[in-house]
Amino acid sequence: MSTNQNTLFRVENLRKEFGKGFFALDGITEEFHKGEVVVIIGPSGSGKSTFLRSLNLLEIPTEGKIYFEGVDITDSKVDINIHRQKMGMVFQHFNLFPHMTILKNLCIAPMKLQNKSKEEAEENAMKLLKRVGLEGRANDFPSQLSGGQKQRIAIVRSLAMNPDVMLFDEPTSALDPEMVGEVLELMKDLAKDGMTMVVVTHEMGFAKEVANRILFIDKGQVIEQNQPKEFFENPQNSRLKEFLSKIL
Amino acid sequence: MSGFRDNFVNNFIDDQRWRYIWDGLGVTLQVTFFALILGVILGFLLAVIRATYDKTGKLKVLNFISQLYITIIRGTPVVVQLLIIFFVIFGSVNISKIIVAILAFGFNSSAYVAEIVRSGIMSIDKGQFEAGRSLGFNYVQTMIYIILPQAFKNILPALGNEFIVLLKETSVSGYIALQDLTRGGDIIRSRTYNAFMPLIAVALIYLTMVLIFTKLVNMLERRLRNSEH
Ligand SMILES: Nc1ncnc2c1ncn2[C@@H]1O[C@H](COP(=O)(O)OP(=O)(O)O)[C@@H](O)[C@H]1O
Ligand SMILES: [Mg+2]
Repeated sequence: MSTNQNTLFRVENLRKEFGKGFFALDGITEEFHKGEVVVIIGPSGSGKSTFLRSLNLLEIPTEGKIYFEGVDITDSKVDINIHRQKMGMVFQHFNLFPHMTILKNLCIAPMKLQNKSKEEAEENAMKLLKRVGLEGRANDFPSQLSGGQKQRIAIVRSLAMNPDVMLFDEPTSALDPEMVGEVLELMKDLAKDGMTMVVVTHEMGFAKEVANRILFIDKGQVIEQNQPKEFFENPQNSRLKEFLSKIL
Repeated sequence: MSGFRDNFVNNFIDDQRWRYIWDGLGVTLQVTFFALILGVILGFLLAVIRATYDKTGKLKVLNFISQLYITIIRGTPVVVQLLIIFFVIFGSVNISKIIVAILAFGFNSSAYVAEIVRSGIMSIDKGQFEAGRSLGFNYVQTMIYIILPQAFKNILPALGNEFIVLLKETSVSGYIALQDLTRGGDIIRSRTYNAFMPLIAVALIYLTMVLIFTKLVNMLERRLRNSEH
């Protein structure tokens, strides 16, 4: 296999069937490298979420293979829970745990899964909260926060596990416009720190500024991909041209 | 008023008849308490099996057994279940009647608890489940740390109601000659030929327990709610 040291994900001929004969993913082969920021765009229902969720096996592929850090995680003998600890995921609707304080939201996984002591987990959590300027909210519950604050907490909840890659599924789509900026800023910050990121988003400004590579997915296939400048200035595929003309 | 006094003395004081009520209350509380524990533990297990099958299609055989069990328990009267456990299952064994009652009411309650908990689990947004799994929690950990605590809060009123039903249902324990609260009152009635006083006393004691319990559940509910908003 061509997988080298630098490859984080290698996806081979990935297909996902929902119901009879409908393939939400229809043969995707792709590689993501360490430190890379990849943005995925495409029309609604084109399979972006399904693709992203396949990477950590929230969706089980119908066909194809996914290698994460060299391990074929589609092999049913592999304990996916171990590998998921290395992949953070951020959802459109935050999915914070409403019955726990912000601090507990950040500490529960490191304590239960990495055997961190309470002190250790809380110290690290407070560092992360400071980083997003929410250290004053440690003892609040998620329902007391704004959408933008919730999403920043969701991001640092994933970071608390010290992951090798972060997966984002439209992290700003459920936010009021005035809160989009604070979340994108945090994501840019992460990118600057060298975090490997796969981001499904409609924020073209973010894609232009931060992405190393943009993939256009339509009907379950990667139709076109390029570096941001080329991608936006010189699109080749007619469906991409049409898509860009609608959103830019 | 002296009629009432004589009546009271005759029913409760003479021959220490109050002890039938007192001892009966002890039995009722014991049976209810342990049946409750059995019912909740078994009920949660059944619920997790059923919800796992609903969500993932796994545990097909266990789910089938659970469903069958729940159907049978909910489809037959608790008195009949009590009699079957006493006379059929333990018919040839010498076993404490209290234990028989605990088993019968515990099994019975578990079927109702199971359906309540299952609906609670299913009512939790699937994003919660996915967030747990994406952090690396396995299925059971996700249930224990993330789903069940939230489900519990939602179903507390229904569970409280089920416990009240359980408490009152133990009053049929007399069918296996277990001297619970109801039976205690009835024994006094048969001794004094006075139905009013012992039976009203028994009714008032049940009512008091139900009211206290309702209050406790309401308090717990308020506390859980306050801890989130
Ligand atoms: N669990 C599911 N069951 C059936 N169909 C699904 C499911 N999830 C997604 N789909 C379908 O798969 C297609 C791709 O969905 P999705 O990946 O969510 O698209 P996108 O994120 O690009 O909007 C859509 O047609 C959607 O209706
Ligand atoms: Mg989507």
